[in-house]
Amino acid sequence: MEIKTNVGNLKNYQIYLKVESAVNEYLQKKGYLKVDLPVLSPSLIPESYLEVFETEFRFLDKKEKLYLTPSPELFLKRLIVHGIGDCYFLGKSFRNSDPSASLHSPEFTMLEFYKVGANYMNIADEVLEMLKFISQKLKIQNHKVSFEKWEKISVAEAFKKFAGIKEQELFNHKLFVKKAEEKGYRTTGFSYEDLWSQIYVQEIEKHLGENGCPTLIYDYPKEFAALAKLNSDKKTAQRFEFYINGIELGDCYTELTNWQEQEERFNEAQKERRKNKKIIHKIDSGFIDALKYGLPDCAGIAIGFERLALIFSKAKSIKELKLINIV
Amino acid sequence: MKTNAGNLKKGEFISYQGDIWQVQKADFYSPGKGSALMKTRIKNIISAKNIDYAFKSNEAVDVLDVTSVEMQYLYKDTENIYFMDERSYNQYTLPIDVVGKAVNFMKEGNKYYIYLFDDKPLTMRPSLSVKLKVIETEDSIKGDTVSSAKKQAKVETGVTVMVPLFVKVGDLITVNPETGEYGERVKS
Repeated sequence: MEIKTNVGNLKNYQIYLKVESAVNEYLQKKGYLKVDLPVLSPSLIPESYLEVFETEFRFLDKKEKLYLTPSPELFLKRLIVHGIGDCYFLGKSFRNSDPSASLHSPEFTMLEFYKVGANYMNIADEVLEMLKFISQKLKIQNHKVSFEKWEKISVAEAFKKFAGIKEQELFNHKLFVKKAEEKGYRTTGFSYEDLWSQIYVQEIEKHLGENGCPTLIYDYPKEFAALAKLNSDKKTAQRFEFYINGIELGDCYTELTNWQEQEERFNEAQKERRKNKKIIHKIDSGFIDALKYGLPDCAGIAIGFERLALIFSKAKSIKELKLINIV
Repeated sequence: MKTNAGNLKKGEFISYQGDIWQVQKADFYSPGKGSALMKTRIKNIISAKNIDYAFKSNEAVDVLDVTSVEMQYLYKDTENIYFMDERSYNQYTLPIDVVGKAVNFMKEGNKYYIYLFDDKPLTMRPSLSVKLKVIETEDSIKGDTVSSAKKQAKVETGVTVMVPLFVKVGDLITVNPETGEYGERVKS
């Protein structure tokens, strides 16, 4: 890797700054507290598919493992338990094993905000209003996307419509793998989650956010619940992602508040991490303690901030937004 | 050679569903749900058709040792085109169907790149433009200033191309051999 200076990206970077100040203005106006947070942590929330950056604190003969946070979630939810109320973080997050690509960078800027007493669909309303606010602030006209409304589609509807996979096949691992095989995907040695993800990217994503407004795709199979509350059908989780021009911008959950269920999911995720030979970090037990104390009903969203800025600029990749890149 | 799809690079040749494809684009993509993926655009080197395919990044893919060798175009008959590798003097044959429309713009004696795999010719490497001499075209009428107007012109390989009115017999023009479209007038 090397350090690349690109002052030619100054125009794009200025747009990035404008989007940043519009977001700060919007969220603060709506009563969200901006929080500065550490990016080095001794323990993390285990996530099956994310690799982390590991480092070490050293002092004399004392050594302690530290990890760069892949998301500020573990800190923000603690603060909510402590009664801080609606809050947000806009800063760096780190994901290892994500080589630089047009929409990926191992070091990136995350916008994550939480609203107390809200569910995922309330956050959807907030996001739309925020997008509208940004575009008004930036005075962007004749833009390809209007932020007047969402196009909403459930994951089950999307698989039926774009991939010809029926609901009973989508939620049944055996039937799903069989269907994937029929479609010509390589299935040997791959899990339901792997195949699901491959079909989602290959056949579904390109249709999302292509009709002149952002698309909200919701109710993911429980295997992708992560930290989201399950729906009463127990098959799907209250999670949505939103897309503009086929690009995923944000991931939202109605937050799981039940600590036992969360602890079980952490253990499952950790098992998955071991299986996939990922770095085994200390699980954040303080997070479970916080949930035990009581996380109020709330919902939150994580938005890839560079991707968000891309919509409002002429840049095509994250790199084109930055003055300095490590590539 | 087998490699993980996550290592694929632009320009490499792979075997996929029984055909040979060249990687046009390979972009790492981690949706955070299930394993990471390699979003690729691959071009079937026989049909020249592009498709987008998302490989699982840890899926094994066969990377093929395809080489591109410069060869002289000797002649063609009704079915095949014949080339010679000037270093080895070996002759290679490609069916006209495989080369497609570009055959109309090939000049005997000129050099073209041929893709070889296991010393078998696969197809011709497409070029974006070829230079050809105009051998027949009507003179344009003076005062005709409609810049978008086009006329027919026969080029030295015998096919007809639509060209702007200012093009004259003897001019050298560029043509896209895939589409047969005129590019520009060039100096020799």
